[in-house]
Amino acid sequence: MGEEGQGLKYVGKNLPIHDGAAKVRGRIKYTGDLALEGMLIAKLLFSPLPHAKILSIDAKAALAIPGVIGVYTHENTPKTHYNSQVWFDGQEAMTLEDERIFTDTVRFVGDKVAAVLAVDERTAQEALGLIKVEYEALPFNVDPEKAFDNVVSIHPVQEPFFTKEFHCGNSDEVFEQAEIIVEDRVETPKVHHAAMEPHVCIAVPDHNGKITILTPCQIMYSVRLTVAKVLGLPFNKVRVIKTPMGGSFGGKQEVILEPLCAYLAQSSEKPVKLELNRKECIISTRTRTKVIGVVKTAVDGRGKILARDFQVIADTGAYTSNGAAIVSAMGKKLFRLYRVDNQRYQGRAVHTNTTVAGACRGYGTPQIMAISELNIDSTARRLGMDPLEFRVKNLVQPQDSDLSGGPSLGDARVIECALEGAKAFEWSEKRAREPLVGRYKRGVGMACSTHGNGYYGAFQDFVTMTLRMLEDGSMILLSGLHELGCGTITSTKQIIAEVMDMDPDRIEMSEGDTETSPYDIGSQASRVMHVCGAAALKIAQSVKGLFRSQAAFIFKCSPEDVVMCDEMTWSIKEPDKRLTYGEIARTVQRQHQLELIITETYRATDNPGSYGANFVEVEVDTLTGLIKVLDVVAAFDVGKAINPDFVKGQIYGGIQMGVGFALTEDIKIDPLTGIVKSDSFANYHIVNAPDMPPMRVILIEKGENDGPYGAKSIGEIATCAIAPAIVSAVNHALGTNLTVLPLTPERILMGLLPQKK
Amino acid sequence: MVLEMTVNGKAIKVEVNPNARLLDVLRENLGLTGAKEGCSGEGECGACTVIMDGKAVNSCLVLALQARGKEIITIEGLESNGELDRLQQAFIDQGAIQCGYCTPGMIMAAKALLMGNPHPSEAEIRLGIAGNLCRCTGYLKIISAIQEVAGTNLRKGGQDDDGV
Repeated sequence: MGEEGQGLKYVGKNLPIHDGAAKVRGRIKYTGDLALEGMLIAKLLFSPLPHAKILSIDAKAALAIPGVIGVYTHENTPKTHYNSQVWFDGQEAMTLEDERIFTDTVRFVGDKVAAVLAVDERTAQEALGLIKVEYEALPFNVDPEKAFDNVVSIHPVQEPFFTKEFHCGNSDEVFEQAEIIVEDRVETPKVHHAAMEPHVCIAVPDHNGKITILTPCQIMYSVRLTVAKVLGLPFNKVRVIKTPMGGSFGGKQEVILEPLCAYLAQSSEKPVKLELNRKECIISTRTRTKVIGVVKTAVDGRGKILARDFQVIADTGAYTSNGAAIVSAMGKKLFRLYRVDNQRYQGRAVHTNTTVAGACRGYGTPQIMAISELNIDSTARRLGMDPLEFRVKNLVQPQDSDLSGGPSLGDARVIECALEGAKAFEWSEKRAREPLVGRYKRGVGMACSTHGNGYYGAFQDFVTMTLRMLEDGSMILLSGLHELGCGTITSTKQIIAEVMDMDPDRIEMSEGDTETSPYDIGSQASRVMHVCGAAALKIAQSVKGLFRSQAAFIFKCSPEDVVMCDEMTWSIKEPDKRLTYGEIARTVQRQHQLELIITETYRATDNPGSYGANFVEVEVDTLTGLIKVLDVVAAFDVGKAINPDFVKGQIYGGIQMGVGFALTEDIKIDPLTGIVKSDSFANYHIVNAPDMPPMRVILIEKGENDGPYGAKSIGEIATCAIAPAIVSAVNHALGTNLTVLPLTPERILMGLLPQKK
Repeated sequence: MVLEMTVNGKAIKVEVNPNARLLDVLRENLGLTGAKEGCSGEGECGACTVIMDGKAVNSCLVLALQARGKEIITIEGLESNGELDRLQQAFIDQGAIQCGYCTPGMIMAAKALLMGNPHPSEAEIRLGIAGNLCRCTGYLKIISAIQEVAGTNLRKGGQDDDGV
């Protein structure tokens, strides 16, 4: 199966995921499956009001129930403030620390009010219902645009609490003189990550004051940092072990449950499990950031973009979380997709009395691409130009620079994605088709996107790994990798196996454990394959160098003469005298008292863009407003696919999320009560199997960057172009310019109203 | 109350609360944690799917006592003598697994489908797993895996078609 790499044995091959057998057998233990001896269960009481002062909490009746260990509120828990998205010590200075384990002022429906700790779940649940809370309701606001009025004060800061501007050239001047200016207002919704595994963690105290936290997390060192801060413990008394991940998509990137769970364990001196149900996950954890963007584009008559201007509002919800970071992240992407000499981006972040926003697959890119791409579409429409032709005229080219001052775009092959994708999709033919007459309308649309490859150019981005060869020739990689189900472990094995020329199954890799893993900044920022993969490549090369120099001693030849193949090694001068890798490792230990082990730090050296172009055909039922996605072609410039099946898996899954983002998914909040209306899978619809369109994937693999074998990221960018492509197709079908996501039947029918008159 | 049923071929007798769900009994009393709870007991996600008398059921919506005298198969009961069921192997081979949380329920729904209809069309497969949500895979490789076992797979590698 798969493409034949240029003489590559393992890289570029479709190996199955390393823990597949455990998963199909139902044997893998997720955190929720664990039951430790003496483990207590915690359940949470959530605020029913969007903004209120807690006047009193009466827990007497709850505490009287046999089996209840304690009730915890803002009155008897640490008052330390923190920000759940901070992942390195010192970063808190760049943001607001406005969260606490429990608050005395609730700021959204779903804010944490109290916890019951009990011997089992039933007891905890029963006790929860007996806690009496007296609230004093405060004025609230769920509308990000109204936040600017500063009528409702959620935190002691002025709204917007953060503003970021990026610019190049002089867009004001160009807009003054431009003849054609096209303006759009685009709105994207709050979205639930919908990992199938609900949020959960377990904290275990030991006899020496150390707390061990078992958690499906994306950044274990972020968990350690915040838990240590809240509990007042030194870092080495907080041990975080990353457990099997039942889906995250950024939802488990921030430190949400761990500080509370760790505190309960510390205070009760018992293991504690804290697990949310689906409704609690939807209303009280994190969401994709709701974004409203006003964008205008100035073009000349031949379709050259002269200037663009973006005014963007990010609704971070009731606590700051990543509100500032995501505003910056969105702005940066705009300078990396089109060649625009004069461009300004102004992003502002506000608080509202709604569920907290946070990292969500793409970290703002799906939102900003929806804003940008829908406006690119309407600009092409105004010009009477084919949107593909208009894009190709303006898209970036390989080795272009980032005019806002970011790292080079690298070998940016978005034009290739657009042209190859269009060919496979038969874009021109489909675009030229006569419209259908009658109830059902068909349309085709497209969109492009870019996303990053790590933190190089913004923050420190490095990783330390230890690789060793054991006496039987098998290997162990010690690292802080976090497998999220994407195939990180297997892909990394493929890289090391390629260098060492050995079976990937003979390489063992533990995942993150802050007590035993070297430092790693975590599974975030689309960095893992590009940066951690490069680290694995480099350390494997170092161990290989050590191996060959030692083998050269044994073979009495020069290291360059040492051949390594399928765990056998020999000197090119004496091909008959062959030893296994294990025999070398053993001989080296015996004769030289040396272990084949190396610890090395790799620092990221570039941050090229990953690129994509998606093409979509839809059918719209003008009677019901329902939309069916009929066909998707997704072309991505991934540099090199270490495991093409994994890369395609990311793309298929990214499309699933993107279809929902475009058509159905919306954490709807009642403006009168602040209550989340779509609080279960019965009324929050993620796309299921019958509604998934056919998908064809095209991978552009030209390498030319510092990733391992030229690999670039795919997991996040996979979901960044599909939604605007779908909306574009709907607009093509209906002759509309709908720009508020998701395109619910109501919005479709409203959009059609003027035409029916 | 006493519940007697057959689970993965073995006769089981357990003491259960009248309001306990089958999912609770499987996970808590019998230690069979393969079935998951993903939507909090409303039968929307399918992660808790098991087979009861040949039919796929959401074990979060079945009262444990409704399983009295019934034959239950869970993901743990699919393999025999250490050998994986063909569906399990196909899920691995086709890359139908990412995070794996939906996998047990997905496989059990597919198994029930194939028990009733050994050669389903692609549309029938999609319907057969309509009640099982997956956030990772976009379903395509899951469908391919089921097709592989059903022998109705015409094309591979990302291409899709309208079934047979």
